[in-house]
Amino acid sequence: MRRTDALGRFADALSSLKLTLACLALLMVLVVACTLAQVQLGTHLAVERYIRALIVWWTPEGSTMRIPVFPGGGLVGGLLLANIGLAQFLRLERSWRKAGLWVTHIGLALLFVGEFTTALMQVESSMAIEEGQTKNYSEDYRRMEVALTDVTDPGFDNVYAVPDSLLKTRRELPLSGLPFKLVVRAYHDNAQIRMRTPADGPSEVTSGMGANIAVSPLPLVTQDNEQNTAVAIVEPVARDGAGLGVFLVSNGLGAPQGFSHEGRRWALSLRQRRYQHPFSLTLKDFRHDVYPGTEIPKNFSSLVRLKDPATGDDRDVLIYMNSPLRHGGLTFYQASFGKNDTLSVLQVVRNPSWTLPYVSCTLVALGLLWHFGLMLRKTMVKVL
Amino acid sequence: MKIPRLQNAVFLGALALAAWPLLTSGPKSAFNLEGFGRLPLLDGGRVKPIDSFARNSLLSVRSKQNVSMDGQRLSAVRWLLDASFKPEAADTYPSFVIDDPEVLGLLGLEQSKGRYFAYWQIEPKREDVQKQAANADVKPSGGRSRFDEAVLALERRLTLYERIKNTFMLSGSGDPSRELAAFADLLPGATRSMHAAKPSKKDQETIKALTEMLQRYNFMAQISAFKAIPPQLGEPAEAWANTGEALVRPARGLGAHPAVASFAQMGSAYRSGDGSAFNAALAAYAQWLAENRPTEVRMAHVEALFNKSQPFISGIALYIIALLLVFAAWALGREDVAAAARAAAWAAFIVHTLGLIARTALQGRPPVTNLYSSAVFVGWGSVLLGMIAERIHRKGFAVAGSSAIGFTTLVIAHHLSASGDTMEMMRAVLDSNFWLATHVITITIGYSSTYLAGMLAIAWVIRRHLLLKPDSESTKALSSLTYGIVAFSLLFSFIGTVLGGIWADQSWGRFWGWDPKENGALLIVLWHAIILHARWGGYARERGIMLMAIFGNIIVSLSWFGVNMLGIGLHSYGFMDKAFWWLTAFVASQLLLMLLGTLPPRFWTQREA
Repeated sequence: MRRTDALGRFADALSSLKLTLACLALLMVLVVACTLAQVQLGTHLAVERYIRALIVWWTPEGSTMRIPVFPGGGLVGGLLLANIGLAQFLRLERSWRKAGLWVTHIGLALLFVGEFTTALMQVESSMAIEEGQTKNYSEDYRRMEVALTDVTDPGFDNVYAVPDSLLKTRRELPLSGLPFKLVVRAYHDNAQIRMRTPADGPSEVTSGMGANIAVSPLPLVTQDNEQNTAVAIVEPVARDGAGLGVFLVSNGLGAPQGFSHEGRRWALSLRQRRYQHPFSLTLKDFRHDVYPGTEIPKNFSSLVRLKDPATGDDRDVLIYMNSPLRHGGLTFYQASFGKNDTLSVLQVVRNPSWTLPYVSCTLVALGLLWHFGLMLRKTMVKVL
Repeated sequence: MKIPRLQNAVFLGALALAAWPLLTSGPKSAFNLEGFGRLPLLDGGRVKPIDSFARNSLLSVRSKQNVSMDGQRLSAVRWLLDASFKPEAADTYPSFVIDDPEVLGLLGLEQSKGRYFAYWQIEPKREDVQKQAANADVKPSGGRSRFDEAVLALERRLTLYERIKNTFMLSGSGDPSRELAAFADLLPGATRSMHAAKPSKKDQETIKALTEMLQRYNFMAQISAFKAIPPQLGEPAEAWANTGEALVRPARGLGAHPAVASFAQMGSAYRSGDGSAFNAALAAYAQWLAENRPTEVRMAHVEALFNKSQPFISGIALYIIALLLVFAAWALGREDVAAAARAAAWAAFIVHTLGLIARTALQGRPPVTNLYSSAVFVGWGSVLLGMIAERIHRKGFAVAGSSAIGFTTLVIAHHLSASGDTMEMMRAVLDSNFWLATHVITITIGYSSTYLAGMLAIAWVIRRHLLLKPDSESTKALSSLTYGIVAFSLLFSFIGTVLGGIWADQSWGRFWGWDPKENGALLIVLWHAIILHARWGGYARERGIMLMAIFGNIIVSLSWFGVNMLGIGLHSYGFMDKAFWWLTAFVASQLLLMLLGTLPPRFWTQREA
């Protein structure tokens, strides 16, 4: 029976109140650390390093060693979730008296599950539309892709996109359905690009405007208001092994580059990763109201036409602060604007678990009210 | 039946004390200054009385709501009137507070002669200030020195003052009515001259004179500090204009605006010291306003009354009285004094509540909209909870604790109010009464109750060391109150935090972004959860709970104010810097109290065997 004993002891430890307290305290430390780190790292990276990580790593200045220094939010949160779950069934009595605590803990577990699924599944992108423009895609401002577009037919573009995750990890990418493959010579997440000078020596780039450009890699920027300039040096290679030119593509370069192969013309570019949607939005009007006599913004709103052949939607929607559009599993928020108030930027979020916090909040609130209500009644009875 | 005399006397006396500012009028003056202060203007996107604008401006220029000099005290409205119509006099008032020794060095002024300086003392170095400020302005806000910040602040104040001086009339242009008449005389002739086929020499001169006048008015229109000319009947409610804009109306073929002439009359009368003419022009204009802009007039009236009554200043005094009475009751062991303390606290609470209601009504918003109003509300919430708690355990602890919090938060609010209009308009993303009323209120009540629990715990620690004989009943009452309030805090902070998440989900698509403010709220929730679980598990007993409740004070303060100071670092100066040191001192004091709590009771007295 030793095994059961060990298992029993393990279950005891995992469901103990001491572990709960330890996890809560660790979580507090992590939250403080993450908050302070945001000053240096920006919110996104600080959260990646402290909260959405199993271990918090520390790299001493000037070294490449990674030393584990603290359990990360993922680990502590997971442990706490297991702890709550086990304690619930092993320790907490099943009675009306404790019903409030039951409901509260279930609600809390849901909140954790929600945060985990959000971390795993949420995809954020943005859609910048000018007045009168129609768009059926949104762009990811953190991820890139190399797009190969068949532009032979002016009325119809056939796009083949290669995400940056593949560009970073593969040397050679067979492109199914295309008459060539893509060889990746270099990929930089962030770089400075400038015109080449004679001192730079010859370039490996043979085609397009990239031959005149020098690249010096930069560290990745993470502050929320900064944009990386990604650079890829790629070479399309025909089936017979003939190179079609070495290109330098970057989201920092505007002009199109391309080549011809087997009678078709192809455009090549590196751009923010695009997500195609089965519906389109047309910006009819963007409004930016200010309080009279001031520059203080009173309201931002975008009047859009939503057209979705699949659902038969063809209607006007007003997106404004605190009032997003939810459609097709996506949520569109008013995020920013530009070009003299003729351009509206919508934040596009796909988060399948967005309803979980609402459910969990209700549960926890009811549970706590129930529990503390009972407590208060007991006190009042004693006092009166 | 015996009427508890002391209690009633204290209650009524306290209310009378609070009503005092409303019943008195300022120093005698031939001019109806109060009436002028009630006139509406548009500034910062909202209509407010001249009185509010004058007070806020003087607060930011001088850090005070009045100017005291030569043994007399000028109200903010009087200061604004002088700056507008008698700038040569206003320039000699000690209107600017300057503390920074390096800035004083730049100005060639000496610190020994007080901290307030007049415009004429600064004027010779005006260009230097501007140059240094421009220099500091281009530096990133983290890289500015103490001098940079101080000179920037001075530049902002000087600019504000100069703009005020050129709002009703061009500073130094003499009698405003004469100017207006000259313009009216000149205009028809000048228009004719412009259309003359062959302009004579005289025509050219008239045109030149008119052009010069228009240039002056356009300058005023550009730099004016506020818009005092209301829209006329039939015009949209936001079509306010400043005097410069309204002055050029006739030149654009629009009718002259009656308000312009009214203000010019008031200005002329004020300049010549003719009180009855000033009051007559004011009355005529007030009549016109009542017919054309009744709503704005009413709102401005109420707000001016609110400014005058200063409920939160009275509140500070009343909370102190309540606190002193509790101490007296403890020292004397008299129940009637304890009842009087409760009465004083109730009076303070009533005044505090009336002030909150007035603000809410004036703003048309839920009570918490910015840092200032959060301070007012946190105190209010604590006192409300404390008064309820006192009904459960009538030991005076809750009254003392909540009065201390009420006092402190109102003092904090008073200092925060120096940063400008406390009823500023809400920026777009915050413009949601629903979320302001739910999320913000719940989370603020969470702050209130955490502070109350912390104060009770502090009382517990102090009693432990001061009490001569043990009073286990009171100790038990304190500990059960603290525990109950911690539970209440957990409930409200949790709901408030999650509601905040839901608001974030509604407005930018993510429930939880781990941003500093959210993290601060989360810390409060986690800490309360720790306290309660530690108690349930038996890891923390009475003393442990008390010490943890005191630590709750630290967490709430960091989450409330500390977050606003993130990233400010050591190179920043100004208000938040001062607040930073106060916050540090507060944290240190709480740690000290916790340390005191861990020491054995009365450790400093020789124990007798």
